[in-house]
Amino acid sequence: MTMSHRGKKLCDQSGVSRRQALKIGAQGIGLGILGGISPLPPMFGATSTALAATEGKILVVFEWFGGYDGLSTFVPYGDDALYRHRPNIGVRESDVIKVDDHFGFQRSMLGMHRLWDEGNAAVIHGAGYDQPSFSHFASSSYWHTGAPNSGEPYGWYGRTADALDPTGTPNFLVNISATQSLAVRARDHVPVVFADPSGFRRDLFYPQRPYFEQLGNGQKSRTDTHKFLLDVNQSAREASALVRQAWENYNTTRNGDLRLLDLDKVVALIENDFPARLYYVRLRNSLFDTHVNQQSPHNRQVQYCSDAVWGFFEEMKRIGKQKEVAILIHSEFGRRVPENTSLGTDHGTANVSFVLGGGVTGGQYSTPPSLTDLVLGNNLQHTTDFRRVYATLIEEFLGYSKSENVLGDKFTPLSMFT
Amino acid sequence: MTRYYLFSTVVGTALTLILTGHALLANPNSWSPGPASWKGDLTSIAASDWNYDRAAHLLGRAGFSGPPEEIQKLATLTPEEAVRSLVDYDGIPNDHLQPFEHSGFWDESLADFPPSRPVATELAMDRGESMGILVKPDHVNRHMQPVSDRFFYWLRATQLETRRVGYWWAERMLDTDRPLQEKMALFWHGHFATAQNKVRDYRKMLLQIEMFERHATGNFGELFVAVAKDPGMLYYLDAGVNVKGAANENFAREVMELFAMGVGNYTERDVREAARAFTGWNFDNLAFVVNSSQHDDGQKTFLGHTGNFDGVDVLDIILDQPATAEYIAGKLYRFFVREDLSESLQKELGAVLRDNNYELQPLLTTIFTSRDFYSEATYGAHIKGPVEHVIAMLKQLDAEDVPGIPDFNSTTIALGQHLLNPPSVAGWAQGQSWITPALLQERGNVAFDYLFPNVIAFRDPNFLSRGGDGTVGERLRSGQNFTTAIALEDETAEMTAFNMANRERDELFNTRVSGYRAWAEAVRKLIPTPRGAARFDLTQIVLDAGATTTNEAVDHLLGRFLRMPISTDLRDGLVALLDNELGTTNLTRAQTYLEEPLRMVTHIIMSTPEYQID
Repeated sequence: MTMSHRGKKLCDQSGVSRRQALKIGAQGIGLGILGGISPLPPMFGATSTALAATEGKILVVFEWFGGYDGLSTFVPYGDDALYRHRPNIGVRESDVIKVDDHFGFQRSMLGMHRLWDEGNAAVIHGAGYDQPSFSHFASSSYWHTGAPNSGEPYGWYGRTADALDPTGTPNFLVNISATQSLAVRARDHVPVVFADPSGFRRDLFYPQRPYFEQLGNGQKSRTDTHKFLLDVNQSAREASALVRQAWENYNTTRNGDLRLLDLDKVVALIENDFPARLYYVRLRNSLFDTHVNQQSPHNRQVQYCSDAVWGFFEEMKRIGKQKEVAILIHSEFGRRVPENTSLGTDHGTANVSFVLGGGVTGGQYSTPPSLTDLVLGNNLQHTTDFRRVYATLIEEFLGYSKSENVLGDKFTPLSMFT
Repeated sequence: MTRYYLFSTVVGTALTLILTGHALLANPNSWSPGPASWKGDLTSIAASDWNYDRAAHLLGRAGFSGPPEEIQKLATLTPEEAVRSLVDYDGIPNDHLQPFEHSGFWDESLADFPPSRPVATELAMDRGESMGILVKPDHVNRHMQPVSDRFFYWLRATQLETRRVGYWWAERMLDTDRPLQEKMALFWHGHFATAQNKVRDYRKMLLQIEMFERHATGNFGELFVAVAKDPGMLYYLDAGVNVKGAANENFAREVMELFAMGVGNYTERDVREAARAFTGWNFDNLAFVVNSSQHDDGQKTFLGHTGNFDGVDVLDIILDQPATAEYIAGKLYRFFVREDLSESLQKELGAVLRDNNYELQPLLTTIFTSRDFYSEATYGAHIKGPVEHVIAMLKQLDAEDVPGIPDFNSTTIALGQHLLNPPSVAGWAQGQSWITPALLQERGNVAFDYLFPNVIAFRDPNFLSRGGDGTVGERLRSGQNFTTAIALEDETAEMTAFNMANRERDELFNTRVSGYRAWAEAVRKLIPTPRGAARFDLTQIVLDAGATTTNEAVDHLLGRFLRMPISTDLRDGLVALLDNELGTTNLTRAQTYLEEPLRMVTHIIMSTPEYQID
């Protein structure tokens, strides 16, 4: 609808250039921070180093929590075994948008199929790990830490931030969520975590403003916990005004026809030059845990997600960033191969993952798991350690060549970016 | 609010003497951690090391903090007496706490509530009836509608009533004269995490909370067995499908992994064998039952023991494991003291629990009287959880009740803790996971909402229905026909036509209409939550404390709400704010317009990083 309207950048509002604005910022614009009144929040200056980093690639992880059913998403319709295991709920050939004579997208996934047609979608078969857990809780923590069956305290994404940016630049890592994901927990970065950009603000009365700006200033940390809180407080101040302003700007430029789930917040920040390079979005209110009567809710949910991903890249095209921004889609596990007695599926093991945009070489990667040689109680044997996907993104896309520093071991990248 | 248990009238007299002076103003930020060398030392803290700040530390951790008067009472006791007054509370009357008042949503016909809407309607199709509702004659269009309505009615009703249970519990946390009992109940709720969203029966959740209160500081072994037989827990961890020949491992796994031992202390085989022992355990309405025909009575080998074990045998074997006492002691320690716990200290604490046959009071007494508890390492290491945070705020403000504006549940949900709906069977993650940049700001906003209730924007969340259900209801009420009423609002905005195919448009009933009708009927029966602002009077509080100047007022508020000192710049800023707003430094002169500015200062104090720590 508004394809031709370019978004106003934070620094465009008053016609000041960014460099000029930084100077103003250094002198302090004053009370505007909290009310979003000033054209450019003063703390922008503090993030100027990281702005240079946005010249590089931006990765978005879109976690489809709940365990989506890969076999009903990227459907192996050419395999009779699928229909033997799933006589009632196997996605029929007529309900598949074929990509070859064996596989195709479930038919409501028009959006992701379009990305496929454009050559911007990579499908990774059989992503999983040894000794899989069937618990949402345990398995997602393994994906989040990138360290199954270990006590790793930091997230793989947080460690990626630490590796890419050892100085811990503010606003480098964003998690769109009410609560912080383990995946973004970092040693040297305080992730910017919020769910509602317009609510990412302080409620206060005018006379209180100067004192809120002073909060935490000059305070020496007395304990580790205190230091943590002071850091978070600092991060909140550095991020909230920028996030809110970006969101306000975006609401005037966005394409209102697109439902982006929480990816719209990512678009807003990218369009407004927020300095983050790593974004983490977890699907809210997931309908993917489909133990019972799964077809209708699962189709609906993949459709919403697929539409959102397509819409996201439409927005990236609008702002000319489709080659710079990639999305990774994964879940904590796939579903068990045979349908259960309630026309649903139970927790499983390996699953398809997707990497989209960012100049990825579209196509299928790795070996599809066999639907006949099942393991661990009718489950798929994984064919790709999921950390190879992480290593691919860290090395080939983000350009950090030593993914072993992040993942603890060398995992061979999949040659998805050339 | 000042019904605190006193050991003797002598103490009471001493208190009166202290309270009449300006003692409370003398040392606003009396942050006094014990020496670093106390870390790991379980020796009792000496009476000579006891002071006001350490009493505040104890009441914050073992309770929900409190106003200076309550802290002062503990400070005037010996440390042993102070700890005993919290831990050994059986003699403290608590009769003023009210039992939960049911709205009356439930009746016998809901006893076998179907697991899903399709089951409900299919059952009704087979039998002509479900949940006490007869289907309409089948020549009537959408003749299954009343059954679908009934199904969603109970879902809505139990959800609304759960919010009331949350309120009821919060009120108990605020009003109790046994704060540790409620703190422990909150701990057990997070430990034996069970969520109403799955259980879908507030009555089971209420029973569970009452069980946690009853066993709060009692015997862990007894609580452990009671939890395993608790209808809410049985439902939550799928006892109903754990039957002979088709064991479901959900409960057996969690009972070891999360409730008693931790990973690494059992094998997958132990899980399977334990699951067999629990087969047939189930509930009938609100009672525990064993369906002997579904119980696997065969021989099991579990954690090195072999026999024809049933569930209780398995629980007993688990309790016999040294790992269990250490796991529970460690978890309690991390909740009450700090996350960093050495292996040797954990073993020592586990031994205290085991040597006392799982009686919790000796362990809690050891923890709360130990030098370790007052050491530098423990001080300021705890981030208050959202429920704890809001209750402490209200207690420190001397609020009489948990107010209706803002909505208690909404405020703690916004901060990341939904009572009776923990995020998973692992409960809440605690500690630093309570805080993100947005959540830290939100803590300030929640304080703002309690100090300056937004009476204009406030809507009772029980009545919120502007979503799909509400729209359908409004259309029906304006005389629109069924088909028009149920159309999606943003039909044209859809990207594909598949939505139409995916949407449920069963001719027998419509779930969007049920959504509206169910809500309307549930709200008709619901006992309303009183919606008023918190009642407290900061003017009175500051003047009663003897403050006469803005300096003294700020220092009193800092001492009242904070233990860790803030920077002198901010402290001076708060005085300046008060001076500016009052136009004088003289509180007597400003007494008639003091309240609002005092609340502004309090709001800033409650928004500091330091206030989130206890």
